[in-house]
Amino acid sequence: MAVETQRMEDFRLEAEPYYLPLGNEVELFEAAYKARLPVMLKGPTGCGKTRFVEYMSWKLERILVTVGCHEDLTASDLVGKYTLRGDETVWQDGPLTTAVKAGGIAYLDEVVEARKDTTVVIHPLTDDRRILPLEKKGEVVRAPEDFMLVISYNPGYQSVLKDLKHSTKQRFVALDFDYPEPEAEATILMSESGIDKETATKLVKIAEKVRNLRTHGLEEGVSTRLLVYAGQLMEGGVEPITACEATICKPITDDLEMQRSILELVATQF
Amino acid sequence: MYVGRDMLAAVPEERRDDYLRLVEEISDLKYQLGVEVARQLPRMFTEHDDAAIDRYLGQVRAIAVIGWKSGVEVAKQLPDLYHAPDPSIADAYVEIVTDATMGAPDDEETLAFTSELTELERQLREIEPKQQRAQEIKSLLAARDRRDERRRKHAQELAAALPPILARLRPRHREVYLREVRLVAAADPEAALEAANTMLDLLNGERVSHDGAAEWTRRGLDVLEKNREVGRGYFRIGSKFSLEVLEELREGLALRQVARVLKLYATALSGRDVAVRGIDEMSSVDRFGPDHIILPDDMRFFEDDDRNFTAYKVAAAHGAARIEFGTYRFQLTDVPDAIEQLMERYGSKLA
Repeated sequence: MAVETQRMEDFRLEAEPYYLPLGNEVELFEAAYKARLPVMLKGPTGCGKTRFVEYMSWKLERILVTVGCHEDLTASDLVGKYTLRGDETVWQDGPLTTAVKAGGIAYLDEVVEARKDTTVVIHPLTDDRRILPLEKKGEVVRAPEDFMLVISYNPGYQSVLKDLKHSTKQRFVALDFDYPEPEAEATILMSESGIDKETATKLVKIAEKVRNLRTHGLEEGVSTRLLVYAGQLMEGGVEPITACEATICKPITDDLEMQRSILELVATQF
Repeated sequence: MYVGRDMLAAVPEERRDDYLRLVEEISDLKYQLGVEVARQLPRMFTEHDDAAIDRYLGQVRAIAVIGWKSGVEVAKQLPDLYHAPDPSIADAYVEIVTDATMGAPDDEETLAFTSELTELERQLREIEPKQQRAQEIKSLLAARDRRDERRRKHAQELAAALPPILARLRPRHREVYLREVRLVAAADPEAALEAANTMLDLLNGERVSHDGAAEWTRRGLDVLEKNREVGRGYFRIGSKFSLEVLEELREGLALRQVARVLKLYATALSGRDVAVRGIDEMSSVDRFGPDHIILPDDMRFFEDDDRNFTAYKVAAAHGAARIEFGTYRFQLTDVPDAIEQLMERYGSKLA
C-alpha cells in the first residue's frame, strides 16, 4: 500500500506549470471536466498540448497519468496484466487503470500511434457507462466522478493507415491547438527560456517565416518547443545562429536545401 | 671460320693474311671443310709453293661441291699423297673419290636435282630478309591487335555505363554532353568513361557553361594526344592542370544551383508561393508577376560564391517584398480610396 501511495504522489504535480492560455481552452476543459466528458486535443507537435494537460491537472488538483502511445502498445499495457513476483503471480495495474482507480486524469499522448484494437479499450470509459473492464482479471472498474480521459493527436500526421476511428473520435470534446500568436509566443519564450524580448521577437519572426513553408516541403513548421530550446541554448551562451541551426533548421527537415533556406532566414534576424 | 692459335703460329708470318683469306673462302663452302683445311694449310705453306696450294684447294673444293664429307677426308689425306714417289697418285686418288662421291656419270637426274636444289637454296637465301620483315610486321600487327582489344573492352564498358548516366543528365545539356563525350570516345574509350562521369557532374552541377564544357574537352584532348595516362587523369579531374582549367572556365554562381533555396527563402519571407525564374524566361512571363521573381541566370558580381549567393538573396528578398506588399499593384484610380483610408487612420496628422 505504501508503494501504491508513493506511486500516486509521483503522478501529482507539485508546482504550477507555466501555461499561457491562448483562447477559451481552459474554460472549455473545466466545463468538460465538470460534465465528466472526455477531451481530445488536436494540434501540431510542440504547440503546448501536453503542457496544457499538465496545467489543467494542477489546476483541477488531479493526478496526471501520461501514456505515450506507440504502435506496439497493447490493451494489456494500458489496463494491466498478471506478472510473476517471486513465486507468486500478481496482478499489476496498467497506467489507465491506475488513473481510473485514483480518479485522476489519464492522458493518452499521440493516441493515433496506438493499434486500433488498443484504442477500443477506452470506449467504455468515454460514454455514460464510465467503466473499465479488466477482462483478464474478470473485473470491472467503475470510474469515480473526478476521473477524466484526455487524448491528443496531431492531425498533420493523419494517413489512411494512421487515423482515429470515427467511433473513437465521436466520443470526445475536441479542443484545437495551434502555434500561439506572435506576441503570446514571444511571452512564452521569455518565460520558458529566460531570453529578452528582442531575442524572443526575432525567434518568433523566424518561426513565422518558417511556418510559411509548411505546404512547400515541410511537414510541420517549427514548434514553440523548438523555439524554447533555441532560447535556452542562447541563454546558455551558444551563438544565436548556431543555436537556431541546431534547434530549428536541423530537427525539422533533412532536406539540405530546405535547411539552407531556413538558415538564411535565421541570418536575416541574427 | 675456325683457326686455332697454334695453326696460325705455324704459318710463316708473311703468309698469314693469305692463310686466313683462303681458310675463310673454303669455310664458306662448309664449316667442317674450313676447319680441316685450316689444319692442313700451315704444312702446305712450309712444304709447297703457291701452285701446289692452289692445286690442293682446287681439288678439295671440287670434291666438296659434290659431297662435303668426302671433301673433308680428301683435304686431310691429300697433303700426304703429294709426297708420294709417283706424283700421279694424288690425282688418281682425287678422281676415284670424285667418281665414288658423284656416282655414275650418266646420273643426270641427280645432277638436275643438285642444280635445282642449289638454285632453290639461293632463292631461299634471297627471301630470308623478306621473311624477317614479314615477322616484324606480324609482331607490329599483334601489338596493334592487343591495343584494339583493350580499346574494344573499354568501349564495351562505356556502352554499359552510358545509359544510366544519360538518364541522370538534364535534357538541356544533352546535345553538348553527347557531342563532347563522343569526341573523347573517338580518341580513347577509357578516357571517355572518365569524361562521361565528369561531364555529367560539371553540366548538371552547372559548374561550366556549354562553351566551357567544349573548351574543357578540347584541352583534355590535347593532353590525351600527348600522353594517354595523363589524359585519362585529366578527364577524371585527377590532375592539377584539369582543376586549373575548370577554375579558369568557371562562370560565377549559376541560378540553377541555388534556385530552390531562393524559392523557399522568398516563399518563407512573403508567405506566398513564389517561383524563381531566370532572365531567359522574361520574354514569356510578366516581369513583375505576382507569383514569381526573375533573377539573372548567373551571378558574378564577386569572386566567391558566398557573396554571389548573398547578392542573389538580396534580389530574392526584394522580389519577395514586391510580391508581399504589392508594389506594382498600385493604380491611379485607387488614389481617392487610399486617401480616405489614410485620413481615417491618421486623421489630421495626414494634412
